[in-house]
Amino acid sequence: MADDFDVEVVTRDDRSARLLVRGLTPAVANGLRRTMLSEVPTFSIDTVRFVENSSVMFDEMVGLRLGLVPLTTPLDDYEVGESATLALDVEGPATAYSGDIETSDDLVQPADENVPIIELKEGQRLEFEADAVLDTGKEHAKHQGGVAVGYRHLQRVTVVGDADEFDEEEPNILRGVIETEDGELVHTEEFDADLTNRHPGKELEIEDVPSAFVFHIESDGSLSVDELTLRAVQSLRDRADELAEKVAV
Amino acid sequence: MMIPVRCFTCGNVIGEHWEEFKARAREGEEDPAEVLDELGVDRHCCRRMMVSHTDLVDVVSPYQ
Repeated sequence: MADDFDVEVVTRDDRSARLLVRGLTPAVANGLRRTMLSEVPTFSIDTVRFVENSSVMFDEMVGLRLGLVPLTTPLDDYEVGESATLALDVEGPATAYSGDIETSDDLVQPADENVPIIELKEGQRLEFEADAVLDTGKEHAKHQGGVAVGYRHLQRVTVVGDADEFDEEEPNILRGVIETEDGELVHTEEFDADLTNRHPGKELEIEDVPSAFVFHIESDGSLSVDELTLRAVQSLRDRADELAEKVAV
Repeated sequence: MMIPVRCFTCGNVIGEHWEEFKARAREGEEDPAEVLDELGVDRHCCRRMMVSHTDLVDVVSPYQ
């Protein structure tokens, strides 16, 4: 386990990434996936004090929706358990959006501005004050920073020859990222996930590349994908160190 | 009632795309599949959230 991992970026932007990691065991790969979901803290609204709610939804329903709105999380400035205050005041006829929420700290903002909270009709009003708490996905799923985080084996596709002339032309569907014979990494979406589009009339051999995993990481906007990944690795490392320390004589 | 904030299955935030989807695919003439592709709603769990949603605020509002 002392070896370094070899990481290649397949695709990357602010909110989603595909990373190829070599030199992992399945246990470490899954540990990393679980850490991204449950150990990286994010802000989420936890307590709401309603001043007025004359909308068509009950306080609890509005509270549930608020909890699901992702908030940007400055992890360097806050510890787990600390909170920030938010407030909203919208009078109908209008729709209250996540972007209308005012916050006490400019670094804690709704990650998306256009999430409708509730549509207000003439004479209806929504006013509340809320506390957003920094906590982990282990505590509540609304604190998960990662969305649909998963991994697959890297698959190597080799052309072994021509297909039999009278073979039926069936689609050969494959998902994930493949490695070609030249070592090029290609996502199967590029050829509509059907290998017969890429290698028509060829006989192919597909095998999993040992200890190479392609992670698909998506963030809900509360953290960038880079930060989510690095914090997860850090958390995993810290806990492994802690274990080593505790079992040492 | 209102469009859910997140996809029930994967947790992706989909609420933000609803109004554009509604304007283009429900009230407009565009193909819902193409609109969803353009909005970046890729997974079928998130797509069904949009396709199967009905706004009920207008129906409920006279009673409260």
